[in-house]
Amino acid sequence: MSLIAANRISYTINNKKLFHNLSFTIDAGSALHIKGGNGSGKSTLLRILLGITTPSKGKIELLKPNTKITYLGHKNAIKNYLTPIENLKLIFHQSNLESALDWFQRLGLSRVQDEISANLSFGQQKKLALIRVLAAPADLIVLDEPFVGLDDSSRNLLNKYLQESISTGSSLALTSHIRPEIISKELMLENFSND
Amino acid sequence: MIKIFQSEFFKLRKKLRTWLGPLLIMVLVLIAFPLSIDISQYDLNRFYFSIIVVALLMISFLSTEGIFLEDYEDGSLEQVYLVEQDFYKFVLAKVLTFVLLIGVPMAGIGSVFSILNGISINEVPKIFFMMFLSNLLLFNLFAFGSSLSINKGAILGVLATLPLALPIIILLGRGVRTIQHGIGFEGVMALMVGSGLLVASITPLIISATLKTHLE
Repeated sequence: MSLIAANRISYTINNKKLFHNLSFTIDAGSALHIKGGNGSGKSTLLRILLGITTPSKGKIELLKPNTKITYLGHKNAIKNYLTPIENLKLIFHQSNLESALDWFQRLGLSRVQDEISANLSFGQQKKLALIRVLAAPADLIVLDEPFVGLDDSSRNLLNKYLQESISTGSSLALTSHIRPEIISKELMLENFSND
Repeated sequence: MIKIFQSEFFKLRKKLRTWLGPLLIMVLVLIAFPLSIDISQYDLNRFYFSIIVVALLMISFLSTEGIFLEDYEDGSLEQVYLVEQDFYKFVLAKVLTFVLLIGVPMAGIGSVFSILNGISINEVPKIFFMMFLSNLLLFNLFAFGSSLSINKGAILGVLATLPLALPIIILLGRGVRTIQHGIGFEGVMALMVGSGLLVASITPLIISATLKTHLE
């Protein structure tokens, strides 16, 4: 069963064609790895899937009503002036907070729990941001370069989590220059020359 | 909605400089102004309220300048959009938080200092309520301004909305005169309550649409 369908979508910005006439579906329990060079429109395509950005042509259809989506883009959406725990409490309130704190420990962040997030390293901030995705089960997981900045053990944890999520029926759309260790379809975005 | 409000309140409370700074500046202006002139030569009663109003205007202007910038820059706006599919509740909660943590104390400070304008202590609650409503209107207005140019220096958008603040200031001045003369206060108050409710419920819709265009 398809969860999301893209029908002939195109996106042009400042007269630069990023992609043209793209059609694909993402099935429940499957993954789509969007590949392409820098500036080929991978992040934009993810934002179009999420409904944040409107395509120049074509449309995206969410085929399952009330699809629960989790997303982590280039921006971590964490507050630098709060501690990691305070950030998690802001994100999760009471629901899933226990699971979030569990992931917090598993990712080795316990020793920085009293620091303000601004003092965390890039990788630690990335891990903290990833908990938003890891601790909240979703129908569709959308990740933009999730492996950047992660150490090997965290990368393995993330790969394992994503594979488990897919096998339990979640769908995944991600961009990554680091090859994910999950079974996925691939979508290659070409770099269009400007006419 | 309550969770969003709690989150916004928690975030702003943690940013001491954002909410305490404007209040300290307001106190400083209201204390420093009479000290900087020779009070004996002027009748302070006649114009001190104007200073309070200008301070109110400037402080609400400054405190809302970056109201959405942090959430835009750190990616929180995208996350809000994914959950809510619009920004109405988020904007409503954010502006209300600013009004409660900055606007209400400002109204308190302003109404206490209005005693220097010859307002009797019994009338101070009326002044407070009027200033609170003015702040509600001003914060909504300037939040809209801030949302217009969020990623291009929010001060530009806030400046563009500054002329729209003039009717609010005129209404506030009219309200004070009705208190001083003891007539027509209820009419002005009804007008302010009505416009306050209208603006506070409609402006978040407009700001929500503006924020969405910035995410595109």
